[in-house]
Amino acid sequence: MPLQLYKSEISGNFYSLRGTSWIVAASLIFSLVAYLLLTDKELSLLDQGEMLFTLSEIVISLGTVMAVTSASSTISTEIESKTFESLLLTPTSSRQIAFQKLLSITTTWFFLYVIAIPYLLAVSNGTNLSLSSILYVGIYGTLLVVGFSAISIALSAKLKSSKNSVMVALMILLIMLAPSIFFATSLKKTSFGMAIENINPVSHAMNSLDSILVDNQQSLFEQASHLFRVTIFAVICLAILTYISRRFEVSPVV
Amino acid sequence: MKAGAKTSLRMMAAASRGIRSLVTESKDPPASKISANDNSIITSGLSKAYEKLKAVDSLTLAVDSGDIFGFLGPNGAGKTTTIRMLCGLIPPSAGTARVAGFDIIRESMKIRSVIGLLPESSGFYNWMNAQEYLFHFALLYKIEPSVARNRAMCLLEKVGLAEKAYVPISYYSRGMRQRLGLARALINEPRIIFLDEPTLGLDPSGQEEIRKFLLELNREKGVTVFLSSHALGEVSSLCNKIAIIDHGQLVAKGNVDELRAQAGVSHTIVVRVVNTAAARLQLLNMPSRGKISEQGSLISVTFSEGSQGPSDYYKDFEYMIKQGLQVYDIQRPDTSLEEVFFKFTRPRNVSSDAEKNGGVR
Repeated sequence: MPLQLYKSEISGNFYSLRGTSWIVAASLIFSLVAYLLLTDKELSLLDQGEMLFTLSEIVISLGTVMAVTSASSTISTEIESKTFESLLLTPTSSRQIAFQKLLSITTTWFFLYVIAIPYLLAVSNGTNLSLSSILYVGIYGTLLVVGFSAISIALSAKLKSSKNSVMVALMILLIMLAPSIFFATSLKKTSFGMAIENINPVSHAMNSLDSILVDNQQSLFEQASHLFRVTIFAVICLAILTYISRRFEVSPVV
Repeated sequence: MKAGAKTSLRMMAAASRGIRSLVTESKDPPASKISANDNSIITSGLSKAYEKLKAVDSLTLAVDSGDIFGFLGPNGAGKTTTIRMLCGLIPPSAGTARVAGFDIIRESMKIRSVIGLLPESSGFYNWMNAQEYLFHFALLYKIEPSVARNRAMCLLEKVGLAEKAYVPISYYSRGMRQRLGLARALINEPRIIFLDEPTLGLDPSGQEEIRKFLLELNREKGVTVFLSSHALGEVSSLCNKIAIIDHGQLVAKGNVDELRAQAGVSHTIVVRVVNTAAARLQLLNMPSRGKISEQGSLISVTFSEGSQGPSDYYKDFEYMIKQGLQVYDIQRPDTSLEEVFFKFTRPRNVSSDAEKNGGVR
């Protein structure tokens, strides 16, 4: 069974109470955000494109945080609970293990994305942004989730400790999210801010969504530069995972 | 001859036959040796170092197809590291090894298909039940689902977990988990099985069942068993070859008798007779070398096996029967492998060793 590990991961994610709780949590968050955007006196004054951008940002950020948390403990948990040794004993290569785990996390993101679609449709109702928001949230979300998950899985395998790998992976994600979430517009315009924005895949994704949903620049051609950089980020992360997963080892015992 | 004396003679003969059968059993090649499959393990100068610590140091071993091979050593001697290298889980720092004919470095994936491993402490997916767990591993071994389902149930029956097959593993006791671990190690019908303390945590009947099961596997399917255990009685009763390692180095190898000879430790037989004045007197006139000690209502006569083997004390047995001594029981204390083990292994302070070596567990 070539994808047996993937199937088992997916069933663990979806059929257990622990696994399904995130679906409920995500739905509640999306409902709350959409409700506030559409009914709150202050927030409803925003332009509809901006509302959609805020929701898109939340969908992608939530998906990435969930993917990073899950990916950064995926191998270290197996090492800590001593299940990794038996897994490595099967004729499944380290690389297959890593990539099947990555695929299962990406599938989880896909479910989150599917849950988000009705909310995106509701907030974009009456505009010409519905399809674009669904398309670009899907593309950027998937690229960022794949990239960050790949790095997190590599960290999990290398650090062999869930506590450490989750901490380091979340720190990396926070650093990447910081410019788009925490940087003031004035800081973004400084040379430091611009340099950070230029190399940061999250900033590229968010700036691209901003120009699509707020400035109405919806064509792929207009977003090619952003898309290219985020894709390069995902490819580099996948290359790192490919390299790290050439051989997984168990912790030394003498 | 009185009926009681006849019974005693039969008991003594059986005891000495028992010793001889142990000796001959260990020398006879198991039936599986004629198997065409190469189920052997050969290592040459196998070493593993973690920074300054040499966990395994130039280990050279040969385990033939169909052997039940005992691998002994004190805590921290390098047994688990050796097993992990042989299973292809960690690469050696130096040396080579072939398992089932495959090189442990270049062909580790092929090795994984033909071996099974029961680690000393194994983890489980607690949200699964035993049947799902074995089925999951069977599919990872690329076994057809229908075959996998049957094999999982068959193995659960063999290890005594059939009734609890659908109970979540989180409810399993230590012993039940150990049995499930053994079933998992056998799900791919391995040609070689590595067992690290297989009976740890099992009750006595469970230990006996597992021992019988291993013997059955070895005799009927020709599976080579590589057994690492601190239960020396278990090792001496199951294994036809034994190796002892200490501080990562091989210090002795051979069958039980060869090891005993190398260590200068002999077999002992203890005959206990009812303590009477006549018995005490008669035992003082015994022809040879039994060591006599009084234990309340009984007198113990301890015989040590000399260069001639059990025949050394036949004369004494015959003498005791002829004199009509009332034999209470005959024992063969199973301490000899323990003595061999202590002779070959140096005392060590495990915690200070670990500290010296940078805290590697």
